[in-house]
Amino acid sequence: MKLPRYDYLTEGNAELFKFNSHGIKGEIKKLVVYTKMLEEDIYNLAFGDYDEETDSINDQVITNNNDSQKVLATVASTLYVFTEKHPLVWVYATGSNHARTRLYRMGITTNLEEITIDFVVYGLIEDVWYEFEKEKNYEAFLIKRKLH
Amino acid sequence: MTTIEKLNRSKMPVVKIDKSLEKLRGKNLFPEKLAKANKVIARVGLPKF
Repeated sequence: MKLPRYDYLTEGNAELFKFNSHGIKGEIKKLVVYTKMLEEDIYNLAFGDYDEETDSINDQVITNNNDSQKVLATVASTLYVFTEKHPLVWVYATGSNHARTRLYRMGITTNLEEITIDFVVYGLIEDVWYEFEKEKNYEAFLIKRKLH
Repeated sequence: MTTIEKLNRSKMPVVKIDKSLEKLRGKNLFPEKLAKANKVIARVGLPKF
């Protein structure tokens, strides 16, 4: 991804990523988590503010650190690392509310040309998956790495 | 092109390992979100790919 992004740390399986958001509210720790779902070969993507003391994550909080594009670019960047380690899986993503899901859609739209070089992206509308198109509102997304 | 230039142009970032994250592996950190996602996939399935 060409957009500015934060550096991040991961663990051996590339399923957890930690980075620091820097903005008007100061430094805020973020965690990106890929969790295996019940269905084989699907992982749920989620991220939020990370409290290291309690090992808990809040994906409801509105951080307002004025760096949402950079945070989204960082989360998107982790997809490359995750799917390098897990090339055959699907990644399911949705926001914690409609506004967040819309933000994800905007993030995908902004980078669609670059994303579709390496990934196929589907959006969910009323229980049907469609290939992702700009200007459509989706309820959730599914992403899979293309095998070049 | 030098190795550094190649790395900077790569979509794959250089990522460092933090072993402290391993304590979180396998934990269900977003139980409600995961349950909802599982329900959607059980109902809708995957796209025809």
